Amino acid sequence: MRAGEPAPGPPGPALPALAPLALAAGLAPLLLGWIAVAPNRLLSPRPAALAETGPVLLAWALFHAALLALLLAAWRPRPNWLPEGAAVLAILALAATVGLGTAAGLPPGAAAARAAPAAGAWVALLALALATAAASALRGGTPAIPLLAALLGIGALGAAGLLDSLSLVREAQGRAADLRAALAGHLALSAAALLLALLAALPLAALSLSRPRLEAAFLGAASGIQVIPSIALFGLLIAPLAALASAFPGLRAAGLGGIGPAPAVIGIAAYLVLPLGRGVLSGLRVASADLVEAARGQGLSPGQALWQLRLPLGAGVMLGALRLAAVQAIGLATLAALVGGGGLGAVVFQGIGQLASDLILLGVLPILALSLAADAGIALLARVAPGGS
Amino acid sequence: MIAFEGVFHRFGAVQALEDVTFAVPTGTLCVVLGESGSGKSTLLRTVNRLVEPAAGRVLLGGKDVAGADPQALRRGIGYVIQSVGLFPHRSVAGNIATVPRLLGWDRARTEARTDALLEMVGLDPATFRDRRPATLSGGQAQRVGLARALAADPPVLLMDEPFSALDPGTRRGLQAALRRIHAGTGKTILLVTHDLEEALALAGRIAVMAQGRLAAEGTPAAVLGPGAPEPLRRMIRPGTLALHRLAALPAAGAAAEGPAPGAPALPPGATLADALLLMLDRGADRLSFAGNPGRHLGMAAILRAAAP
Amino acid sequence: MRRRATLLALEALAFLAALWAAPRAGALWHALFPEVARPTYLQDPWFALLGSHLALSLGAVAIAAAIGLPAGILATRPGGRRLRPVLDAAFSLAQGLPPVAAIALALPLLGFGTAPTLLALVLYAALPFLRAAVSGLEAVPPAALDAATGLGMSPWQRLWEVELPLARPVLLSGLRLAVTLSVATTAVGAVAGAPCLGTPIVTGLANANPSYVLQGALFTAWLALLLDRALALLAAPLAPGEAP
Repeated sequence: MRAGEPAPGPPGPALPALAPLALAAGLAPLLLGWIAVAPNRLLSPRPAALAETGPVLLAWALFHAALLALLLAAWRPRPNWLPEGAAVLAILALAATVGLGTAAGLPPGAAAARAAPAAGAWVALLALALATAAASALRGGTPAIPLLAALLGIGALGAAGLLDSLSLVREAQGRAADLRAALAGHLALSAAALLLALLAALPLAALSLSRPRLEAAFLGAASGIQVIPSIALFGLLIAPLAALASAFPGLRAAGLGGIGPAPAVIGIAAYLVLPLGRGVLSGLRVASADLVEAARGQGLSPGQALWQLRLPLGAGVMLGALRLAAVQAIGLATLAALVGGGGLGAVVFQGIGQLASDLILLGVLPILALSLAADAGIALLARVAPGGS
Repeated sequence: MIAFEGVFHRFGAVQALEDVTFAVPTGTLCVVLGESGSGKSTLLRTVNRLVEPAAGRVLLGGKDVAGADPQALRRGIGYVIQSVGLFPHRSVAGNIATVPRLLGWDRARTEARTDALLEMVGLDPATFRDRRPATLSGGQAQRVGLARALAADPPVLLMDEPFSALDPGTRRGLQAALRRIHAGTGKTILLVTHDLEEALALAGRIAVMAQGRLAAEGTPAAVLGPGAPEPLRRMIRPGTLALHRLAALPAAGAAAEGPAPGAPALPPGATLADALLLMLDRGADRLSFAGNPGRHLGMAAILRAAAP
Repeated sequence: MRRRATLLALEALAFLAALWAAPRAGALWHALFPEVARPTYLQDPWFALLGSHLALSLGAVAIAAAIGLPAGILATRPGGRRLRPVLDAAFSLAQGLPPVAAIALALPLLGFGTAPTLLALVLYAALPFLRAAVSGLEAVPPAALDAATGLGMSPWQRLWEVELPLARPVLLSGLRLAVTLSVATTAVGAVAGAPCLGTPIVTGLANANPSYVLQGALFTAWLALLLDRALALLAAPLAPGEAP
């Protein structure tokens, strides 16, 4: 999920890296439990045994088969997408086992009972996520893509009803409207911040291309902002924005008040100016000065040089910076809820307030999914662009 | 001083060394000559155990190197490499003091030794002592590398293509410095190179390596003699073997009794190749020896020495 | 450089003076926020908040260094090189998860207070150290390593005398990054109950008291900037090529 992947390594000794992870994924559920059940909301969940129905056993077997495939694929990665594929399959089988195992394991008619994955399942999930990312990196691909695939797969399982007994899913179904609004709000915040940052960074970067002092000042100020904790920046923006809103009542009507999305969007945008500014400058400079001069010598105007030379050649670098900024924006938007900006952070803070892990997860998992989607999406876009990664 | 006995080594599928056996007498400057991939560097690195041979023994001062502690062994051997490998974060003096530091020498002794070594390699101590490696030219850096290798006064010096990365003029300067140091200290030096001229300029003995095997070993003249092996012939321009042989033979060795008044004079230390070139230059078929009027050198003697 | 250090010291004194003055500057806060009934933050002594903020952030950085640096060193040893893909994968995953989410996830396990924040802090701050150790050690010129071994240094001596000194600038920039991350994440930890300079911000937001928010935000931002500049000063004169 970073801008820029490591160079693809030779197929071969991936085993040392992936084997311990596969083993951990296999052992953790055995040692720490697959599922945990609590008879009601007040008691904490206790590890419970998986019910031994047909579907559960099938999923369980598939999980272990996938782990074996992962070990084998790590030894001989042919075809080279096999380790990642096996890891993703294992994740899906894990989710299916947990989902089906809880459905069968809950006492019938126990409406207040809550079932959740146990520590063993979480550890296995983490190990498999690391294995997926590591396998992808070894192959020279983008880790975000298979991870996103796994997440979407789990979503598909959920849509098919396999995960309905998990308290997490039940909670989600109950709050579907709220979650959708939070998701939309989160996307809106991130997108607005990105746009605002681009509006600031693009012209400044273009102007700085041949003005070293402007560049130093521009990048220096943008770097200085990175040091300020985001919660502090948002907090500092509240008072001036509130003052502006009282001076110009029209602003408040438009939603730009002290409390609300405004301090969050402006604050996030401030942080994004550095990666975007740097990225645009580096991208524009991929076309070397000599190349541009040669083009000008052939009769290209500065504008044509920009469109036909600098932008195509620099597209890869610039998209890489956009990717970084997008992931950052989504992460930073989590805190927007503190200053009244809404978004998925609101769900997380609700969960913190109630000490409810389900609610926290319902906030965190979509944030993770959005990050992965942005990362993978822009990475794919970059592959299509000329001169891209 | 150094002896190789049936040394074998493989790198994967490649036989890097195959049954190499020869000895380097104490005090000799022995050049291991070969093309890339001939195993010459590998052979050098078996002496200080940077490479552990698959089979065979390497003896240093009569003792098998495999029996010694690797670090102690290496501290007693000087090691110079092509890319120099000076420590960028230490000054020149700090670099030279590396092994004395490891051996626990006191500061005064180390500083005195550092200055002496800088003089020995031709660098002014006052100017260079506190310089940083990044500010040195290629030739200066390698001189410091040489000083660093000599710091603890090891009896043996291993040099792996030390001058190959330098331009010809700098290279000649360093070769001269090395000859001086060798003459002055009498150390045993094993030097690896792919450059025949360098071998001829420095060597007391030459060992020719090709594809992991020892192709020939002996004095330069012997190695370039009638039995010169194919790998060696491949290293020189066709037809120039005789000329190289002449360059390895001192003119004084082919001198005949009797004066040659009026003949051009050969300077001391001239080789037969120098003599031939002087004859061609002056259009003479006899030369006299500067500083030894009672002897002369004729064209016939040169032809005999060059005879394949 | 000395001038910059003096200026920085003066600024730090100003910071401390401001912390002392804040609870006593009622008139100022009233003037800035006339509509707020109680604009002066008196719930916790500012110095106590500063103390616990520093203790938490810097303590976490120390623990993170103790984890991240050795791990980075191991990852660059011949045996540990196979761990690299897994480490890179861990970086990737961590970057997609904002620190507040990590704190939130640790909360059900560790309860309210300092513990979940400390856990999240250590995990996040370890990453810059790990990365710095790996990239710094990998950038050491191989020729220097070959020479070091050939001259008779043991692997430990090589690490201590050659590799680490040459990696030092990168390591120091990793430290700077870790501290910045740590100070910021600690501030967020206020939502999970960690006492720090972020606490007035969270309290202010919860109680619609913009004066608290401003004061908390001001001091948090100022602390972060001070520490960053102090570390920059520390790293600056130790670039390779200068006298140690």
